[in-house]
Amino acid sequence: MNAAQLADLLRHDTQFMKNVTRWEVIPSRPARTLPFPACMDERLKPVLESRGIHQLYTHQVHSLEATARGEDVTVVTPTASGKTMCYNLPVLSAILKNPDARALYLFPTKALSADQVSELYDMIEESGAEIKTYTYDGDTPAAARKAVRQAGHIVVTNPDMLHSGILPHHTKWVKLFENLRYIVIDEIHTYRGVFGSNLANVLRRLIRLCDFYGSHPQFILCSATIANPGELAETLIGRPVTLVDDNGAPMGERHFVFCNPPVINRQLGIRQSSVTLTRSIAGMLLKNGIQAITFARSRLTVEVLTRYLKDMVRDPLGEAGRVRGYRGGYLPRERREIERGLRAGQIDAVVSTNALELGIDIGALDACVMCGYPGTIASAWQQAGRAGRRRGTSIVFFVASSAAVDQYIVTHPDYFLNRSPENALLNPDNLYIMLSHLKCAAFELPFGEEDSFGNARGVGEMLAYLEEDAGILHRVDGRYHWAAEDFPASDISLRSAASENFIIIDITDPAHHRVVGEMDRFTAPMLLHENAIYMHEGRQFQVEKLDFDACKAFIRSVETGYYTDADLNINLSLLDIEKQGKTPLGGETALGEIKVTALVTMFKKIRFDTHETLGFGPVRLPETDMHTAAMWWTLPEALSSRFTGDTLKNGMMGIANLLRIVCPLYLMCAPTDIAVVYQVKSPITGKPTILLYDNCPGGIGLSEKAYGMREILLQKALQVAEDCSCEQGCPSCVGPVGEVGEDGKTTAVRLLRGLIG
Amino acid sequence: MNLRDKLRAVGGSGQPRNPAAPENRDAPLDCRHLSEIRPPEEFPGAADLTGETLALMTEKEMPEALDPRKILYLDTETTGLGGSGSVAFLVGMGFWTDRGFEIHQFLMRDYPEEPALLRHVAAGLSRFDALCTFNGSTFDVPLLESRLLMNRMDRTCLGLPHLDLLHLCRRLWKLRLGRCNLGRLEEVILGKPRLDDLPGSEVPQRYFSYLKTRQDSLLEDVLIHNAQDIASLCVLLNHMADLYLHPEKIAFSEDVYSMGRALEKTRHPENARRCYTLARRGKMGTEASRALAVSYRRSGDRERAAGIWREMIARRQGGAEPYIELAKYEEHVRRNPEAALALTEKALLLLCEPGLEDGSAVQEMKNAVQYRYQRLQRKLKERNA
Repeated sequence: MNAAQLADLLRHDTQFMKNVTRWEVIPSRPARTLPFPACMDERLKPVLESRGIHQLYTHQVHSLEATARGEDVTVVTPTASGKTMCYNLPVLSAILKNPDARALYLFPTKALSADQVSELYDMIEESGAEIKTYTYDGDTPAAARKAVRQAGHIVVTNPDMLHSGILPHHTKWVKLFENLRYIVIDEIHTYRGVFGSNLANVLRRLIRLCDFYGSHPQFILCSATIANPGELAETLIGRPVTLVDDNGAPMGERHFVFCNPPVINRQLGIRQSSVTLTRSIAGMLLKNGIQAITFARSRLTVEVLTRYLKDMVRDPLGEAGRVRGYRGGYLPRERREIERGLRAGQIDAVVSTNALELGIDIGALDACVMCGYPGTIASAWQQAGRAGRRRGTSIVFFVASSAAVDQYIVTHPDYFLNRSPENALLNPDNLYIMLSHLKCAAFELPFGEEDSFGNARGVGEMLAYLEEDAGILHRVDGRYHWAAEDFPASDISLRSAASENFIIIDITDPAHHRVVGEMDRFTAPMLLHENAIYMHEGRQFQVEKLDFDACKAFIRSVETGYYTDADLNINLSLLDIEKQGKTPLGGETALGEIKVTALVTMFKKIRFDTHETLGFGPVRLPETDMHTAAMWWTLPEALSSRFTGDTLKNGMMGIANLLRIVCPLYLMCAPTDIAVVYQVKSPITGKPTILLYDNCPGGIGLSEKAYGMREILLQKALQVAEDCSCEQGCPSCVGPVGEVGEDGKTTAVRLLRGLIG
Repeated sequence: MNLRDKLRAVGGSGQPRNPAAPENRDAPLDCRHLSEIRPPEEFPGAADLTGETLALMTEKEMPEALDPRKILYLDTETTGLGGSGSVAFLVGMGFWTDRGFEIHQFLMRDYPEEPALLRHVAAGLSRFDALCTFNGSTFDVPLLESRLLMNRMDRTCLGLPHLDLLHLCRRLWKLRLGRCNLGRLEEVILGKPRLDDLPGSEVPQRYFSYLKTRQDSLLEDVLIHNAQDIASLCVLLNHMADLYLHPEKIAFSEDVYSMGRALEKTRHPENARRCYTLARRGKMGTEASRALAVSYRRSGDRERAAGIWREMIARRQGGAEPYIELAKYEEHVRRNPEAALALTEKALLLLCEPGLEDGSAVQEMKNAVQYRYQRLQRKLKERNA
């Protein structure tokens, strides 16, 4: 059966259609093409023609022409629209014309670079030209590095390596810097938040060095669909860009099906788990031989679903290779194998976290099932884009969980279908981040007193601070020289997560320990504490020992009927207050810096299938710390004293839930970018407090933005509660009654009115 | 909160210091220059170093008619361990003259003096035929290259033939000493331990303190340390040259054996064999004998090689290998497969002795000997048939 036939069948299945809130058909779109533009080197024509390409898509031609005019270009393209041509063709043309020309390619992850480079290799080989492309990252052998520095026409790397491996050693890269013609940055939509703010500063350093060497490279940037690709690109590189977003690639017909699991307890408003409905849809696709990808929000759900699907198709030997799981913790080799299997059609079903959202080439699939809303509209479209062939029909299922945002989207599909995706925010002038990079920049090249650093403001003052207060710069004759022994780039990680990963070691076979995966430092306490059930490729393991200092977890294969889920405790403490204000009735509101301490204290054992809790266990692990920006409101005595302890707590919980819905919409960020907490007696203020903070070290300006629009946020929160048709609370407003109590909604509304005045 | 306070909150505040008074610099800048001459008797053999002796020590291309006065000994003191933010603030250069060993040190008293310092270094380098450093090929030279580049100056002066003593010393002494840093070599090889020497790791901080306080005394130790390094380079090179010419002076079997290996690298097999012969008496006896036999064989002297293998068997040295090698000799040179078979059998017996570590190398050897044994048996059968 193919996807079109399945769609037809399902639309006549009344049982299935009961759960469907909307069935949207996006019509097919023909290709729009143009002849090869004159700016493309003649020698590339036979290479393209040998691959059956006789014309280019309109967006490819437009971006090539803009690049040829000398403009910095940003190309916005959905998956599988041939974006790599937009940079490979100008780069190869330039090198064919001038063998001294150089290009730098930046990809956010190693996996992506491996993928895109293999395509580039093929084109170079077919062209017969002497163009050397090298990957320069942590895996590049020391012996090969010299050749890369001297002879690489195209150097493929990632932001982290550029930051710590290339820029601080720029004198070894003279050939590259003197002749740098193009800087290609793919997947720029991933550079938001801390990572993006860091990259913007790395690029400031890069451009500064190019100036020194007398080269003036042009940028070619690629982005998935987001609301503000042009703005993002301009913030990243600090100069104007030409936006190319008229996608000319063809697309087959697409069905978008919104599914809401049935209500199983009408009194409590509890719905069937989204995992259960996802499992039956994915199972149906698997049975009918329709190649599909299922996206789940957590690693745990990925493993649970993988196991369910594998059980459906196990052969007599217990093998189920047609179904695979895919997520961050798998080893690169295993991931490459899964990607190949998908492209070759040997794998029928893959269950993944958002790891497969990025441009990793797995070919186009027939169907996609999203188990839960991935958090942003941009992500949702990225995931949906995994299903969609250039010809033929594809089908996407969105299965809502009981989370408020999911419920909102499944009941208001137009919000999703018509609204533009989110903005990607970054803040290159985040003081914390910029100061770090200013140190690196000073190490790389002395600063003149009047020198600029991209378009950053306050550079002079920051340099003076680094000299007079920090004592690591030395000013003489109007120039600041690096005057410290350290190597500043080594202290700075570009990603919010610590660079140190935990290694997961399977000790089931005592004679043969093997490493089966890795996990970042912040997730490890949640999933790898002792006695946790760790799932890998649908198999269960129990964590026998977690060596926190050595970053190693030892696991052993087990068979249990349950999985585990850890409880995370968050503690906040105050570092500094930047701005303060008053609310009516004498409450306080403030913007400041806080320390967030995360600690896992216990875990639950949960039975498969029924999801009932079987028991608890303790977790003894050290805390992890983060410094970030926060803003908060205290409840004035005059207001809080009107309620008793539990009622007050329920009302505050309601407000926090409302803000969690409202803030991402009005601050234009992903729900995970911001955290909202309530404290009946806050260690920060000593009073009942509602607090929100940037969920990344140093912050990216969300709290500051929230502080600026604090009254609007409260008004919108109040409006959501008042407009909601429920009586005492539901997941779409203050939270379910079972969580906030019977008086939660009325208390939240009264507190909000009091705060607004 | 103003920007400075915010910066302090984010980055913490160190010890605020008084900004240095602006100095009036109208005259073209020069760096500080110190020089001294050390008496010739501290540098035994320095006057007699020849190109031929150097050719024993290094396989690198050296000027043919080398004048010992045309070797420049160089060492830098830097603000860090590399990367474009590390600066060579002090460059010391020494050379042999008829009056003794001259040392010139160029010190930049502040960053603006760097171009002047580099100009002195470049000018100095251009007057010599060869460069001698300790670990300079991976550290000093690339660092100076980077500094010249960043000051937009010509880098060709660094292209001199380069003798990196670290590599040469490792060849000779790594087997016995393990780590071969200059301090250890001075102590163990030259017998002159340094007292009150400034540890290299403290050098950068000394310089940063000097930049802030301008107290010349802070750099005194650094200057002494640097001058001593340069003088040691010359002493060490000439000491090594003496040993290469007179290996019988070497007291340790490991060292003389190592010199043999080094001489093979520089393609002086006869000198190498002289060292191996000397080393056979000491604790590297087995290895030296083996290396000696292999060296004879390589140069085509199969008879002498066989003689050594026989001696090794007589001294019970080298396990199965001498038997195998002699078997090859009997089979291919003497055309005596019976003798070869007998030797192979003995080798096989030795390899099967209990107590021998049963690693994969031994297993491989066993397989090879087995194969040889069977082949020889076949050969004999065919001949007798």
